Amino acid sequence: MLSSRFFQSRPFLVLGIVAAVWLILPVFVKRFIRVSFFELQAPVDSSISYVRDLQDYWALRTRTKNDLISAGRDLARLNASYEVTLQQNVSLRRDLEKLESILKVPPFPEHRSEVARVARRDFTGWWQRMTIRKGRNYGLLVGSPVIFTGGVVGRVVKVGLYTSDVELISSPGFRLSVVIDGDGRPITYQGSENPSLAPARGIAEYVPLDITLKAGTPTRLVTSGLSGIFPAGLAVGELGRLDGSNDGLFKTGEVKLDPRLSEVTEVTVLIPVKPENLSL
Amino acid sequence: MRRPLVLFATLFLLWVLVAQANHELSGFRVTLFLGGLFTVFAAIWLPRTEGLLTVFASGLLFDVGTPVWFGCHALLFSLAHTVIHHFRKRMPRDEAWVSVVVALLANLGIFLGVSFSAFHDLPAPTNVWPRLLTDLLLSQIVLALIAPWFFALQLKAFEITRVVLPAEEHSVR
Repeated sequence: MLSSRFFQSRPFLVLGIVAAVWLILPVFVKRFIRVSFFELQAPVDSSISYVRDLQDYWALRTRTKNDLISAGRDLARLNASYEVTLQQNVSLRRDLEKLESILKVPPFPEHRSEVARVARRDFTGWWQRMTIRKGRNYGLLVGSPVIFTGGVVGRVVKVGLYTSDVELISSPGFRLSVVIDGDGRPITYQGSENPSLAPARGIAEYVPLDITLKAGTPTRLVTSGLSGIFPAGLAVGELGRLDGSNDGLFKTGEVKLDPRLSEVTEVTVLIPVKPENLSL
Repeated sequence: MRRPLVLFATLFLLWVLVAQANHELSGFRVTLFLGGLFTVFAAIWLPRTEGLLTVFASGLLFDVGTPVWFGCHALLFSLAHTVIHHFRKRMPRDEAWVSVVVALLANLGIFLGVSFSAFHDLPAPTNVWPRLLTDLLLSQIVLALIAPWFFALQLKAFEITRVVLPAEEHSVR
């Protein structure tokens, strides 16, 4: 009777032993396994991403010459406007340097930018991540901020040899110090639940009580620069609703994130020139 | 040792396909989770050790790209494998619908297991349930639709590579 019971429970005993062995396995062994599996997946992700790019290329080849001419004209207009913005940036940078030297303020952290294609997006209800097609081969570092045309995308959480994983701003565990555009007081932004068939959103906490939303005027949230990781002034989202918090000292709000975040195909990684302050 | 390798190759293919499907679905903010499909064939057709090894390795594929503790999926897959393997003599394994039902139940169990493991990172876990239930419903529908094809593909992979399944299991086919 006893031996029959033992025989029946033996598979679960084996599973228990496997679990125990796994839990006490030295960290370097687990790390080795993790890196091996990560690098096993990387070529697959990258190859499929390149195939997708090739598909896009051949799809674009089917466009007529008139389409290409009008696209070229639009690009020329954009380039002209960017030229003007670049000149303004140079002048503003000079002014900033002057003010920094007069007020003896430490300069903002400098970044080198690295453009990367998105190889795979993984936006579950539990986490929101994407894999990009650049890694240690381009000097990417864990913790580096990632941006796109709509503002902040997230930050690099894992760097492989040829690919890296980015945690998105909409991921529930993501926290960031932000300010309302034109107001210097820091607010905490946190990723929130991501409802199906709707744009991603986040939560703004510790919003000062005097902040109110005006109809027709979006209240933009931008990075505060206080963390030392994200440069100041990058767009995060718009405040959609404000409610009083439980303690009555602050307000809590809903943050509408850029809907393009769900389909982003190219991002820019800001790699700090001096990475000492970089941390997760 | 060739049996786990052939099976792992099919599971890796499924992982790639599901990852690509999720990439395309990201704009709709829905996700497919087909963890149950990774455990059933190994549990029903392979000897325990070979099946456990394959399922554990396929779980690690999931663990690498996710923020849950490393080994979470692998151990959940192994648990599902052990339970299914334990009951496999009592189920008519040659019936396709039985494998599909087992895969659905395994998927449900693993999905809930991963959800509870990931909850410690979420600021308001109760708010996430509507999204998770949508994902689960969609995943179960897709799993029920593709499971017969995937099991046939796995059997075909064994035929093509001329790797023989264990005699008693093979005869049941």
